[in-house]
Amino acid sequence: MSQAWLPVITLATSLLVAPLIFALPERASRARAVVNLSAAVLKLLLVALMVWGLYQGHRFTFGFTVVEGVSFLLQADALGLMFAGLSSLLWLATTTYAIGYLEDSPNRKRFFGFFSLCVASTIGIALAGNLFTFLLFYELLTLSTYPLVVHRGHDKALAAGTVYLRYTLTGGLVLLLGVVAQHALVGDVAFGQREVLADLGPQAHPMLTVLFVVFLLGLGVKAALVPLHGWLPRAMVAPAPVSALLHAVAVVKAGAFGIVRLVYDVYGISLSHELGLLSLLTAIAVVTILFGSVKALSQQELKPRLAYSTVSQVSYIVLGISLFGPFGTIAGLVHLMHQGLMKVTLFYCAGNYAEELGIHRIDELDGAGRRMPLTSLAFTIGALGMIGLPPVAGFITKWYLGMGAVQAGMPWVIVVIVTSSLLNAAYFLPILHRVWFRQGPAHGRGSWPEERNLGRFETSAWLLLPTAATAMFSLLVGLLAGVPFSPLDLATLMATGEYLP
Amino acid sequence: MSVWLALVLLWPLLIMLRNGMWLAMEQGGIRRAGPLPELIDAWWLTAPLPALLLALGTVEATLAMEGWLLGGLWQLDEARRPWLAFSALLWFLAGCYARGYLAGEQRRAEAGDGESFRRLVGFTLLWPLTLVGNLLLIVAEDIPSFYLGFAIMTLAAYGLVVHAGHRDARLGGFSYLVMAFFGEALILGGLLWSAGSAEAMTLTELRATIAEAEQGLWMATLLWLGFGVKAGVIGLHAWLPLAHPVAPTPASAVLSGVMVKAGVLGWLSTLPLGVPEAGLAPLGQAMTLLGLAGAFVAAALGVVQRHPKAVLAYSSVSQLGMLASMVGMGLSSPSLWPALLVPVALFAGHHGMTKGALFLGVGISEHPPRLPIWLIWLLLALPAFSLSGALASGLIAKGAMKEALYAGGHTSLVTFLSLAAVGSTVLMTRTLWRQWRERGEDSTSWRSPMSLSWLFAVLAAAAVPFWLPIGEGVAWPPMKDLPGLLWPVALGLVLAGLTLLAAKARQGEARQGEWRFTARLRPGDLWWGYASLASGIAARLGRLGATLEVRRLGIRSALARRERRTIAWLDELTRYERGFVRLAVPLMVAVAVLLFLGFLLAGPG
Repeated sequence: MSQAWLPVITLATSLLVAPLIFALPERASRARAVVNLSAAVLKLLLVALMVWGLYQGHRFTFGFTVVEGVSFLLQADALGLMFAGLSSLLWLATTTYAIGYLEDSPNRKRFFGFFSLCVASTIGIALAGNLFTFLLFYELLTLSTYPLVVHRGHDKALAAGTVYLRYTLTGGLVLLLGVVAQHALVGDVAFGQREVLADLGPQAHPMLTVLFVVFLLGLGVKAALVPLHGWLPRAMVAPAPVSALLHAVAVVKAGAFGIVRLVYDVYGISLSHELGLLSLLTAIAVVTILFGSVKALSQQELKPRLAYSTVSQVSYIVLGISLFGPFGTIAGLVHLMHQGLMKVTLFYCAGNYAEELGIHRIDELDGAGRRMPLTSLAFTIGALGMIGLPPVAGFITKWYLGMGAVQAGMPWVIVVIVTSSLLNAAYFLPILHRVWFRQGPAHGRGSWPEERNLGRFETSAWLLLPTAATAMFSLLVGLLAGVPFSPLDLATLMATGEYLP
Repeated sequence: MSVWLALVLLWPLLIMLRNGMWLAMEQGGIRRAGPLPELIDAWWLTAPLPALLLALGTVEATLAMEGWLLGGLWQLDEARRPWLAFSALLWFLAGCYARGYLAGEQRRAEAGDGESFRRLVGFTLLWPLTLVGNLLLIVAEDIPSFYLGFAIMTLAAYGLVVHAGHRDARLGGFSYLVMAFFGEALILGGLLWSAGSAEAMTLTELRATIAEAEQGLWMATLLWLGFGVKAGVIGLHAWLPLAHPVAPTPASAVLSGVMVKAGVLGWLSTLPLGVPEAGLAPLGQAMTLLGLAGAFVAAALGVVQRHPKAVLAYSSVSQLGMLASMVGMGLSSPSLWPALLVPVALFAGHHGMTKGALFLGVGISEHPPRLPIWLIWLLLALPAFSLSGALASGLIAKGAMKEALYAGGHTSLVTFLSLAAVGSTVLMTRTLWRQWRERGEDSTSWRSPMSLSWLFAVLAAAAVPFWLPIGEGVAWPPMKDLPGLLWPVALGLVLAGLTLLAAKARQGEARQGEWRFTARLRPGDLWWGYASLASGIAARLGRLGATLEVRRLGIRSALARRERRTIAWLDELTRYERGFVRLAVPLMVAVAVLLFLGFLLAGPG
């Protein structure tokens, strides 16, 4: 087997599973589970193989020409593999979770089919080697997520789906405009050939600045940058595994990943810096971080609070890459991974509370820690990580963001980081207090909104295991950040590659 | 030896996990039959013992772990040893005390009271966790581990403060947590800023960085205030008198004895003390001044408190103010710092153990053991007067402190510290007086864990200079210095006696007015100001948010209207379509004619 085929096979594992699932009858839930899980495990192994190969110095590239001047290109570089790794790890976890979550509910075939397509698109986005391929999967992601968002099919879901489509399709259109303009300007350029744009010379700079803003508008919709974030809190009507995937790796992260690609692999960090585009990014990120946190504070329901928290946290990635210097880059890249792990944990927990006890509002959580200790522990880990307390992953990000801010000569960014931490604490700690220190139905006061006793443990094992696993990962990648192959190690590898000539 | 250092932290964690397993098994219904295990058993008590053994030994240990956080480095050197020793000892004694203190709760839990069981499990889980945090921040040399220890300790101690679960406990816990997070934020900001400017990873590098950095003054100020929340710098001290009275007595003891010292240790670890090039003299002066101000103000506020633990909490603020004024000297007159290092460690150890013994004594006076009453009160008074500097470790610690300051020529500071000691004496008399008024009937055996650990704590506190590992040790102050050291105590006693007499004499007449005055000085003084300020700001922000929301909705509905109008207009367009269809043939003919004409005219030319 040639190495060139490895990215293709990885992509195919989830892309080909989709028709297979659509072909299986609705009732064959066990067969579907087997297909889903084995494909997820296989893909995780393939990605691990590529990461190993990358450390050995191999390069995996696959491409063919679609029409003259436009080519389809898959390549596995460190950045792409990091995103692919996150995507396949969380696919496995979320599939497991979704099997438990959707047990005995209608339309599971449709759900899992589009779910695989959605994950295939994220893998495509991760491994895309040029803007054309990126755009292709970016649009596929939009379309394959829509059925998941409106899965429940009630009016609210359909309305949210419409808003979602309006935002993302418009964003996609703008992005298409950018891609075409860039193609007209320099032709087909693979990611990483940064010198092409840099060589255009100073007379092209105004044009490049405008182009950057166009790209940013297109990508910013999915990355939920303020003021393009409106769709995200509404998309909360989706089932918990979809929200988890949406927030941790699929849609929001795809936008953020696109911005990372744009800055590092299309424009190059030095050109972006020279054009003053990094300051623009910093400004947008700062506004988004603070706005998201403040909005989260005023939410009374669990999932919308988490959604606004995502708005704020994803912009840490943008903030990190906008800080000129290796530390800022490390912070941004490592948060790509860390935020995914922590946020997915939080959404699993929210789903567990909702499924097992029917809890949707924060004030219904009183004393839930006694009834569901493991879920609550996982939620605590995720929340502390979001606040940025050691030893959870979020601390590593905060640390490098701070270092990066000083390195970029912008120590005032530390004020933003600290303020955001305080706001995070202000909206997460009351939840933790309710969960652990208030008395509620578990202590014989009142009753849960809708208790269901799904399993032998505090809830169904299908729901509990992925939650515990991602919580454990969030803790370990922080606690053992210094070991080889940790996200921090990968990010450092990339950042040094970025800044060394 | 590095393995031992890891064990210091692992052991309490294992103990915690063990109790966590009990809870999990109870929860999972695996072990419902059979009697409830004793949650605070002998194993649980051993949690701080590895740390204590290591601290009282003589070996130096270093543990480097590359994979840990951003590169872990834990150390036990001569500077850390005294801190580890008194912290571990007080944790151990307070743990033994807790066994007696919470025996009633254990009995109720055994009798099937779920609420007591839950509280007890919470306590037995969070106590070792807080201990881990405290020990980690002492031995950590790399910045992330240090911050980790600090954060674990701060967060886990919240559960100890709110243990009782009633309204006051929640208020105490809330004030504690809000202020602690405010402090954490300042610390994080200071650490990131200073560590970032030279990529420092260890505390030693951090101190060097701050000494050299251009903005060193501001970094150091952030760190001073951040740790100052724990160390009760006046203005940031409001949580102490709110949290201490409501926490269970053993928790108050470690909170006031050891955990607030973490703030002081934070200063010692991060500020470039004794480095003349640092140029932080203004900050040092501010620290000294604010420390002295704290010493006096807290004494004044403490005297009017009624709860003995609240009085003790204010006394902690006052004593920490004295300590802070000395740490400030390390910045304002760096050359003096080497001579001050031992007195500062001694003073911290003395105050930690003595304040611990005093807090434990509050529980003893409420439930006195069956001992002669004069003996109990003698033992209660011993740490009190040691703290004011008249006896035992207090006399030695204050003697060493004043000697070092005299040698540096800072006589005015010595005078102020002596005046502050007058305040301490009055506070201590007030504590004993309130304890006497609230004393209980003797009910426990003197061999119960509570009284034994209290007895041991009193003795250990009195003998701090003789066992605390601080280098060559310190001697008793010479006879000729005694009058200089003892006059504040005498003056304080006279003052306290006069106040008591005056209060007796005026009893009845001016009582009402006096009550109104003292009722306004509730424990927590500034907290109430901060709280009303915060709620005022929150209300204003809320109004602003509502206005913005209204405006946003207005804009949105305007946009939606415009959108509807556009769509309607587009729909209108289709009506024209019919017209177009009818006109299609004539239009096409007209265009063809025009084209034909154009060709004709253009053709020949």
